[in-house]
Amino acid sequence: MGLKKPMLNPSLSQALDFIKASQNPDGGWAYRPGGESLVEPTAFSLLALSSRGDKTAVGRGLDFLKTCMKDSGAVGIHPQDPEGSWMAYAALLAFHALGAAAEERRLKDWILRFEDASGHFTPDDIKAISTVYRYDASIRGWPWTSNTTGWVEPTALFIIALVRVGTPPTQNRVRSGVSLILDRKVPSGGWNFGNPYSKSHELEATVMSTALALAALGAAGIPESRPAVSAGIGFLARGLAGDVSTASLAWTLLALRSYPAGAAQAPVVAARLAGLQAADGSFRRNLFETALASLVLDDAGALLRTAWRSG
Amino acid sequence: MNGKAMTRRDLIRALATAAVTTLPAAAFGAGRGQSGNRPASGPLLQVALVPCPDYDSGRLVEAVSAGWRSTRPPDVRGKRVVIKPNIADFSAERPIHTDARLVEALILHLKTLKAREIILAEGPPHNRDTEWLFRKSGFEALARRQGVVLIDLNYDDISPVKCVNPRATLLKELYLPKTVLSADVIISIPKMKTHRLAGITLSMKNMFGILPGIKYGWPKNTLHYNGIPLSICEINGTLKTHYSIVDGVVGMEGYGPLLGTARKAGVLVMGDNALAVDATAARVMGIDPGRVDYLAMAHKIKLGSLRREDIAVAGENIEKVRADFVLDPEYSFLRAPKG
Repeated sequence: MGLKKPMLNPSLSQALDFIKASQNPDGGWAYRPGGESLVEPTAFSLLALSSRGDKTAVGRGLDFLKTCMKDSGAVGIHPQDPEGSWMAYAALLAFHALGAAAEERRLKDWILRFEDASGHFTPDDIKAISTVYRYDASIRGWPWTSNTTGWVEPTALFIIALVRVGTPPTQNRVRSGVSLILDRKVPSGGWNFGNPYSKSHELEATVMSTALALAALGAAGIPESRPAVSAGIGFLARGLAGDVSTASLAWTLLALRSYPAGAAQAPVVAARLAGLQAADGSFRRNLFETALASLVLDDAGALLRTAWRSG
Repeated sequence: MNGKAMTRRDLIRALATAAVTTLPAAAFGAGRGQSGNRPASGPLLQVALVPCPDYDSGRLVEAVSAGWRSTRPPDVRGKRVVIKPNIADFSAERPIHTDARLVEALILHLKTLKAREIILAEGPPHNRDTEWLFRKSGFEALARRQGVVLIDLNYDDISPVKCVNPRATLLKELYLPKTVLSADVIISIPKMKTHRLAGITLSMKNMFGILPGIKYGWPKNTLHYNGIPLSICEINGTLKTHYSIVDGVVGMEGYGPLLGTARKAGVLVMGDNALAVDATAARVMGIDPGRVDYLAMAHKIKLGSLRREDIAVAGENIEKVRADFVLDPEYSFLRAPKG
């Protein structure tokens, strides 16, 4: 199943102990210990645990993840979800890392067919959205749920996953997703959920959205010489001076490692993130955040394969 | 439309009208949601309009207690109470969220009434960074100080609940957080704000925030595509809010709910019927509640009443505290005439 050799870092090992101890009887993981199993925390727990070669726990988790796949190849939020949705990005990463080639192929095909609302907007809709929010609603990205608006964060997550499993950045959907992210940039630097403006008001960027956008652009090979990228890195640097959440720090670390200009700041951010680990090994007793932090503090290889890293 | 292109506002109004025509009047009567009590055959709905000039903690506790006593509050003794504030986002410059000091006053009040368990719960609409939002808005510290649980509803465990009239809308069922479904008492405690898509946001609109982002996304686009007025009625028709307290000490006017400016109204609006509370709060804002799509729809499907003659207002006189909130030009038609 593509499992790596055991990890030696004792703090990360403790995080993995916490994750392993929180596995549900159905093989999956919830966001919080004892909650119901969902695709995103399960997939990230699997990615984290796979670094330790824990075949039994990983095998049970992978079986759970496979039960979440529909006949169409879609993956929703849990096995009972009647439709596919945004959490499919995480399942794709896990299927790839664990060598579930058939599921990976079917899910990737579904993700490339998973549509936002861009194809349904009329020219009047597109004009109205352009007037109020100042973005181009005809650009195809990815939504959270089927046939609704494409936003920065799900588009970024799907780009990260698709590129990581080997989809070329030149693929049409990936290229379009990159265009959406670039189109939605906040003029003063960075990204928010996807509205640069609302009427005359410029909306503020946020650290989490900016980090995800930069990680996706980095994965897709958009160079840091692009003004949107350098402005985004600048926004992150400013944002790091203030209060930053656990998940945002983790995504920021991933973003900084996606660009040479950001890499210099990465050790400081890594130390700050590592400092948030609780005595029980977890990050906020949140399984997804614990797994994400473990992955990015390790080497993030399960999440990123950027042009400059591999080249 | 006089040959002009349809504006977003026109679109929302058209959707609301279409939706109402598909709903039989009693569609929501048998649900677990807001009761259909209409005072024509019963007692008046009771709403308290409590003056509260600032967020002084002592004054807030007194105001909450006074409003609670002069309405028909739920019995919370021994109950599991979920408080739903509005934390749509955070800004150091603008009063976007329900003030944590008011919520703390409510928690203290509920403790004196011997509530068994108190939970603070919110699912912010478009900013997924709830850890950051809870911390910046003061709710993380509040929860720690008062020893109550703080839940991010966007990532809560969820269960499907059949909509009360599944034939009426695009959504046959709503996925709701188990934290909310397992509550004995739900209290909605929103900020008094204008809203660029709904006109105003008060107690009923605040319940948008219970829907989980993991299922509906950020913002909760599925609901927007279903029509905002209809979705508000659907949520409130499916799940009962047992009590509402509108934070009108300092509200937001203009281009709300995120980008408006602070407006002091100096009141709390409280009561057990969310529609009556919202209608009264709208009047305080200088808005005719009958012109607000979702309030009109909620009245039509009997989630309560918005008519003045159906609501007994205890405490302050509405006209005395009326503070005409500045409206976005698109919503100028909401303004109620004076007098």
